[in-house]
Amino acid sequence: MANHSQFGFQDASSPIMEELVEFHDHALMVALAICSLVLYLLMLMLMEKLSSNTVDAQEVELIWTILPAIVLVLLALPSLQILYMMDEIDEPDLTLKAIGHQWYWTYEYTDFKDLSFDSYMIPTTELPLGHFRLLEVDHRVVIPMESPIRIIVTADDVLHSWAVPTLGVKTDAIPGRLNQTSFITTRPGIFYGQCSEICGANHSFMPIVIESTPLNFFETWSSSLSS
Amino acid sequence: SFKLLGFLDVGSVPCARESVLYGSLGSFVVGLGHFLATSRVRRSCDFAVGGFICTMLGYWFYCRYNLAQHRIRQRMLKEGMRNKILFEGSSLDPERKQTGNERSDS
Repeated sequence: MANHSQFGFQDASSPIMEELVEFHDHALMVALAICSLVLYLLMLMLMEKLSSNTVDAQEVELIWTILPAIVLVLLALPSLQILYMMDEIDEPDLTLKAIGHQWYWTYEYTDFKDLSFDSYMIPTTELPLGHFRLLEVDHRVVIPMESPIRIIVTADDVLHSWAVPTLGVKTDAIPGRLNQTSFITTRPGIFYGQCSEICGANHSFMPIVIESTPLNFFETWSSSLSS
Repeated sequence: SFKLLGFLDVGSVPCARESVLYGSLGSFVVGLGHFLATSRVRRSCDFAVGGFICTMLGYWFYCRYNLAQHRIRQRMLKEGMRNKILFEGSSLDPERKQTGNERSDS
């Protein structure tokens, strides 16, 4: 989850998010180079006398055509690589459905048994000491770690969005439509997210909590849920 | 944390600090070298800025490439360690197969 006044990304917990963070750093470095150049040119212009003698400027026009093209290529290539990487579907070990309601999520595990539960936010008045305000839920989504998981997201009433920043996942929940996304968690832990599409009065109060555990713990949990 | 130009956190981004420092060094060297050679201040400043950008980006790509290779090796190592733990002593253990081949050869 994010710390207070955090500005940057959360630490990545999936390979795609790691790639996204790397690309973001790369884009910022390119942005730094461009900003340095623009700042320098601005300073030069401030010290320069105004002149209307310029007739043509073939060289500078060549430079300011080729340089931006190079910059675009530097940004586009890794971006496209990640874009296609995000669309790869390894055969998922588990398929999970997330259904958005006003104002809670329903999760269904229907691969092996019909498991289904609602996930409501724990109100602040009932929150145990040390737990995170507006982020904790009564029933977490438990998934096995280091396994490809497919999530099918939809909604029951209005638009919602199922988002978990540390996994690099954000998928719109649209009534009457099934949107699919997949991810792999690289480490065990508890990952928090929040609804990311305005959906009414309690839009800010329907969080998502994923608990990534080793497979044996996941099996124990699913057995306990089905019984 | 310190952010260069307000957005680049040089402390936490891998390779950023070294890129900026090497870029500054390159900028100084190129700018000073040009000035010593030509005594033209304005053009030397242009070269200094160009040197900063080129050196910074050049080292950035070099460092990120090495970092990416390092991360790939880390992943392979992690996978190898896990496979060793899983398969050690079993029929799928490659070390056992190798030892078996040596015995059969002798």
